[in-house]
Amino acid sequence: MKPILSLLSLACVLVGCGKPAGSSTEAAPSTSPRPLTVGVAFETLQTEYWVAGFEAIKAELKKRNIAMLEAVSDSDASRQLQQIKTFISRGVDGIVLVPKDAKTCIPMIRAANEAKIPIVLFNRPSAPSDTQSTAVVADNRQLTRDTVTYMLEQAKKIPGKHKAMVVLGDLGDINAIGRRDGFEDAVKGNESIIDVVARVPSEWNQEKTQAGVANALQANPDIDFIFTSSDFLFPSITSALKAADRYKRIGEPGHVILGGFDGDATAYRMLTDGYLDATGVQDVYFEAEASIQALLDRREGKAVGDLILDSGFVIHQGNLKEMAARMWGANIKKSP
Amino acid sequence: MTPAAPEISRAPRWLHLLLSDYFSLILTVLLVAIFAPFTPGLLSRANLLNIFSYLLPLLIVAIGLTLVMITGGIDLSVTAIVAVASVVGGSLMTAGHQPAFIGVATMLLVGLLIGAANGAMITALHLPAFIVTLASMMFVSGFAVWFTQSRNIDQLPPAFLQIGQTLLISTAVTATLALVVRFLLQKTVYGRWLYATGQNPVTARVSGVPVRSMTFAAYVASGFCAALASVIMTGRLETASPVLGREMLLDVIGATVIGGISLFGGKGKIAWTFFGVPFLVALDNVLNLLNLSQFAITITKGSGILLAATLDALRTRFGFRQS
Repeated sequence: MKPILSLLSLACVLVGCGKPAGSSTEAAPSTSPRPLTVGVAFETLQTEYWVAGFEAIKAELKKRNIAMLEAVSDSDASRQLQQIKTFISRGVDGIVLVPKDAKTCIPMIRAANEAKIPIVLFNRPSAPSDTQSTAVVADNRQLTRDTVTYMLEQAKKIPGKHKAMVVLGDLGDINAIGRRDGFEDAVKGNESIIDVVARVPSEWNQEKTQAGVANALQANPDIDFIFTSSDFLFPSITSALKAADRYKRIGEPGHVILGGFDGDATAYRMLTDGYLDATGVQDVYFEAEASIQALLDRREGKAVGDLILDSGFVIHQGNLKEMAARMWGANIKKSP
Repeated sequence: MTPAAPEISRAPRWLHLLLSDYFSLILTVLLVAIFAPFTPGLLSRANLLNIFSYLLPLLIVAIGLTLVMITGGIDLSVTAIVAVASVVGGSLMTAGHQPAFIGVATMLLVGLLIGAANGAMITALHLPAFIVTLASMMFVSGFAVWFTQSRNIDQLPPAFLQIGQTLLISTAVTATLALVVRFLLQKTVYGRWLYATGQNPVTARVSGVPVRSMTFAAYVASGFCAALASVIMTGRLETASPVLGREMLLDVIGATVIGGISLFGGKGKIAWTFFGVPFLVALDNVLNLLNLSQFAITITKGSGILLAATLDALRTRFGFRQS
């Protein structure tokens, strides 16, 4: 009997520890007949952006007295499908999903549709299909175009033609495609001042980025303009720049005009230290609020579009003090 | 095994239970019984069906891995085979406009060929299975990404999707495979040869067991099983993906070890695999239903696998289990 008793004790401990962190049912007002519960399924929490998004959604749900169930699939689409079906079997009132990609999420959306549970895709839209959902996503193309346009304005201040490198994301990710297209839009028509000599594929991988950027700098030592499709790749890029003795502050001779996308803590530090010219910031707080609002509106049968765009904003040396409070990476830095 | 008999008879009853064939099954039942009152929806029909449909492909991969582990080997390439079979079959059925049965046959052939390549390198070149299958995993998964340029393939034929989405079909496929493998292991000379290969290859070879052929066959079967699982997983997700199953290796090896398949070779039954996989999947499901964070879930699962490996070492030491 001893092992069974031990197991029972362990179970009690586990259940005690396992009180849902985000399951704030007790926070619901006593007048409410039944607190709503939302299942939040993330593909990964391995980058700052996703952690910030997860925390923003958690805070938004808490603010509205909605209980939260959470699941992270560790990039496994098959497990994510199981997690979504688990949410459904628990009778959640809505689902917020960060899918692994645009296509494997379709059976998940279909399962939620069949159970008549509203579903919102956070930051990654699905591919076109017969399913019903709302995607809240950054306007990747426009925000990248605005960021690169700012960088080009800085380049124009320096005489001569500049050589540029763009670090591409995983082109299986629709967000990466939007950012690539935004970059190409911005440089189109500016061929007299910019020549794109390197397009480095990163596949959202730090090691590949480091190697790709180092190779491109070796082949084209006079590259002086780099845009990365995500700020989380900056550590690899700065490492390659340092190795080539090209990591210089704005205004210093040999400075490489740098721009990025996301608005993470590294980008914020680089901005305040004077190395980064600009980055396109995804407004995580807007996206979290819009996701939960869309979920509740869908639940109440209100008309909600398939796509809600986060226009974001470009943060640069000129507006840093004014806009830092809205940059999620700046807020991460402040937290203990 | 005979010298250990007196130790077994003197061992307390709880130790017998802990080290018995049915330990992981008992653990699964206990897990569900203990947590059911605290986890709403755990025993609901929808949740049980959900767990069941998720574990079928894991079981199929685990059956193949069981055969390899009985020979004392390991196959780290199974997840890469799942991915490459998925994209090759998916590409044939969409860009190649081939019917579903050609797609399925090609997927299975891909699994057989990669398994044969692994087996050939291990037996002919006498390379360690760990290194061969690790290299194979890297090569094959790299090929899958290059082949699709990281893109997923959708618009698969409905007849193909039915295999993964109709629970009756995927259950029948899994059950048939399990019964065939169980028959081969327990009722035929091939099964005895496989165990002999894992227990002591030198003695087995001297006794006339075709050790190299049995090892080769185990890797071919493992490749076939991974490709079969790929058919079901691709159908369930309606998408062929170059990273399909990439994260399932820990679950498959963990479930096999938890079931009691020895990492040292020469021991294992299909029934043990059938007990181990549901335990790991049920544990994952319970921890999810308890709304624990992913970090806590991963730590708990890792601890469970470590505990199972320790038990395996104890079983081997005391000679409790027979194949």
